[in-house]
Amino acid sequence: MALKDFAAEMDRCSVCSYCKWIPFDQMKSWRFAKNCPSVAYYNFNSYSARGRYAVARSLLNEQSEYSDTVRNIVHTCMTCGACDVSCKVCRYNLEPLEMVRELKFSLVEAEQVLDQHEALIASLNQEHNILHKPKSERGAWADGLDVARLPSEKAEILFHAGCRLSYDEDLQKTAVSAVQLLKSMGVDVGILGEKEMCCGGRVYSMGYRDEFNHFADLNMKVWANAGVKTVVTACADCYHAFKRLYPPLGSQVEVLHMVEFIERLIQQGKLRFRSEVPMTVTYHDPCHLGRQGEPYVPWNGVEKKIKGQIIVYEPNKPRYNGAWGVYDPPRNILRSIPGVKLVEMERIREYSWCCGAGGGVREAYPEFSAWTAAERIAEAKATGAEALVSACPWCERNFMDSISATGAGLQVYDVLALVEKAL
Amino acid sequence: MTLPKHVYQAFEDVVGAVNISDDPAVLDSYRYSLAHTAIHLGPFYNTYTPRGAAVLLPGSAKEVQAIVKLCNKYRIKFKASSTFWSAQGYPSEEDTIQLDMRRMDRILELDEKNMFAVVEPGVIGATLQAEAMKVGLNTHIPGSGCSCSVLASATSYFGSGPSNLYGGCYYDNLLGLEWVMPTGEILRTGSVNSTGSWFCGEGPGPSMKGVARGFLGAKGSMGVFTKCAIKLFAWPGPKTLPVEGVIPAYKVSLPETFRAYTLAFPSWKAWADAAHLIWDTGIGYLAHRQFNMFGRDLKFAMVKILTDPTKTLGDLEEVLADPEVQRITKQSERDFQIILVGMTARDIAWQDAALDEILNRTDGWKVEAMNVPEIHDWVLLYLIRLGHKNLNLVFSGGYDGAFGLLGAMDYGAAHAEEAAQFKKTWEKRGAIVDAGGDCMMGPIGGQGGGGTGLWENFTCFDPHDRESVEGTLEFFDACTKLGLEKGWGVGMEKWNSVARGSDGRTTPKAERDRMHLSAPQPSVFRYQHKIREAFNPNDLGDAYYETLEDE
Repeated sequence: MALKDFAAEMDRCSVCSYCKWIPFDQMKSWRFAKNCPSVAYYNFNSYSARGRYAVARSLLNEQSEYSDTVRNIVHTCMTCGACDVSCKVCRYNLEPLEMVRELKFSLVEAEQVLDQHEALIASLNQEHNILHKPKSERGAWADGLDVARLPSEKAEILFHAGCRLSYDEDLQKTAVSAVQLLKSMGVDVGILGEKEMCCGGRVYSMGYRDEFNHFADLNMKVWANAGVKTVVTACADCYHAFKRLYPPLGSQVEVLHMVEFIERLIQQGKLRFRSEVPMTVTYHDPCHLGRQGEPYVPWNGVEKKIKGQIIVYEPNKPRYNGAWGVYDPPRNILRSIPGVKLVEMERIREYSWCCGAGGGVREAYPEFSAWTAAERIAEAKATGAEALVSACPWCERNFMDSISATGAGLQVYDVLALVEKAL
Repeated sequence: MTLPKHVYQAFEDVVGAVNISDDPAVLDSYRYSLAHTAIHLGPFYNTYTPRGAAVLLPGSAKEVQAIVKLCNKYRIKFKASSTFWSAQGYPSEEDTIQLDMRRMDRILELDEKNMFAVVEPGVIGATLQAEAMKVGLNTHIPGSGCSCSVLASATSYFGSGPSNLYGGCYYDNLLGLEWVMPTGEILRTGSVNSTGSWFCGEGPGPSMKGVARGFLGAKGSMGVFTKCAIKLFAWPGPKTLPVEGVIPAYKVSLPETFRAYTLAFPSWKAWADAAHLIWDTGIGYLAHRQFNMFGRDLKFAMVKILTDPTKTLGDLEEVLADPEVQRITKQSERDFQIILVGMTARDIAWQDAALDEILNRTDGWKVEAMNVPEIHDWVLLYLIRLGHKNLNLVFSGGYDGAFGLLGAMDYGAAHAEEAAQFKKTWEKRGAIVDAGGDCMMGPIGGQGGGGTGLWENFTCFDPHDRESVEGTLEFFDACTKLGLEKGWGVGMEKWNSVARGSDGRTTPKAERDRMHLSAPQPSVFRYQHKIREAFNPNDLGDAYYETLEDE
């Protein structure tokens, strides 16, 4: 695809501004009614999906040129996809998230990039991670763990830690817990250790399509060499990359998030919680596990019209609107832990508010990113919960940093941490 | 034009550097494509409203006042808009200062006892309704849906919608307002001016409501409204809507005192009689001919698709082929939706009985297929929240209303069918969606709860397809011609052509004068001319505030 392929959508966007709000049916208050962090923070239309359609059209038609403002408009999009969900409450023939991604790709191709993102790409190319850490230390989190190291050793299931869980010392325990839990359940699991590489998902969301394709290709080759059939991860970003972005490039491995795996174990009666965890918690749906966590459906079709001017597709086009994301497994796990009381925030599931870490915003626009996290923390606190639980290390990192900066007085946990407490 | 540096700096000093922009890309996100839907004046392919000189995001009435004073000082036109969803909210002339009011989005007061709210321009129907429900109240939501600004609908347009019937339209519900007049002075109307409380919209002294709003609202052409009070009405439901279901088939199960019926009738006369009887008996909370916007032939199939999250528009032909769908479609040709809400069990029992008697007298019936729980609960949520109004544009992104206007419900018997059949012949030409000719929708109850209805015949087209756009325009011209020949008058399809022309700019004065002189009451526009002279001496608005200067 190229930006010009979205020219029809640019004309067909009806500028209704639904993209700025959670689905109206779900609104419970004035305070937590907005869905798009960038237009909520910067306010100009251009920072919303409808505005980005207009900006893209303006650039395509050469009515405006690249500028610092244009770069900011495009790169402040977290590609969280909340706009996409709200748009598709009514529309079947617009893909605002895909368009914004394409707009990002076009800016990167035109070298309209940000220094902070370029630094990440340099780290990715050199160290195979986006955290500026040595690749030789990628597997250090698993030192001392009795776990197979692929490809020299064999295992049925690969646990992919991802950049954040591999290197972030506050969060590495999630990866350790995951592997220990899998092993304790008799799962034949292995890791790639220092041979693991970034999934590429985060640079994809920054607009670096070529780099993503390169790393997807590398990962798929490593998996093929190691005979990997199933990949399990505790990172929502990696999950989304493997589940949604790799299949069009040829990947056929089964992809599971740890919450899906654990829920399966609970349902099979293999995992029982024995310890009480007396805690009121609220759950944050990561964008890439929730609304963007829907399974990939292959489609190769064309637009056609019926009834004169109704736009449909031949064959029927798969609809990604957040309906079938991974929402219930983490909730079912939390509800099955003795003592845990789950209370919901106002914006949940497909219309969840983003943590603020996506699309390269955390790296390039730290104030905006922190504000976005603080908004979510305020929403979590409004529930009366003691802890904010999630299933993505990027979300958790952003929340922890915000709480530490603001003293918000809320604990942050991964679902796995509570599972471990309850065993 | 780029604003001279010192002028830009003067505006920046008011709102701060982060709240002003003249970047061309930003300005282009504040232009309106008149190919997509021109809201009753087009459409015109590949045409945009003029690019503004700068966009400003004021944060207070004080900032708005300072901006307006600067506009007067430098003789720059300005136009404020809250949600930017229709062509009326965009300037008609180049180099206008555009005010995006979204930062002023607070609900300042929610007076449960006196049943009103005081809101800023950025408050939309959905957020006000969500907050009002917490205290047992509800707000009217205009037909354009809950994404629209409450203040803009009340001060600057008609503000009609399904809850006209019980709650009154926004024009009815407007109490006091705070108005930054075109010269930059601030006027507060109604009781707020003398008592500081917003409970009453009028007095002491002559009413300023008509002066401030003008005919059908000021449409952003006469200063900036920065606050208003809006009347609320009773909500006997839960404090939060208990929404269930998989997107987009959200639905709500409400107490036993709530009903959502689709009523259908054997003739247009019976249809109109039922509306009159509903008004006479005083039953009903909301009433709207809603889903017919998809078209007489498509509406039930569309309801089936929208209430099934596994279906898409691509399933339409298959759904239409279902004999049961065809049967229901035929059964509900002349229909409308009504929601009954009982304040008590006895009340809803009485309303139910009254409705049954109305159906008995008019030979009408309830469309039972619309009463199965998954559809009933979806309809209930749809009409109460009115959060799916962008379905107007579901087919291909472009729609506009043809024929129609405000009038007695007897229009149905008088000429709605003839208009529908006329449209049907045009649908077969291919430029517009082939939906069955009758795509008429609108509230069953106009101003003051009853006595009138407002209707328009939805015409859907593809704004990216030149042939579709031009074919639609040709159809609209034919509608106007037919309306004049038949004595129905000019329909909605040309409603705003008096203000903005096919190039997106202000209609030439001679043309405007011609249209105003041929209007039923030209003196309205003469009166508005005098008001404009008095209140907007530098003429810094646009022609959406309609004036006639012929004496």
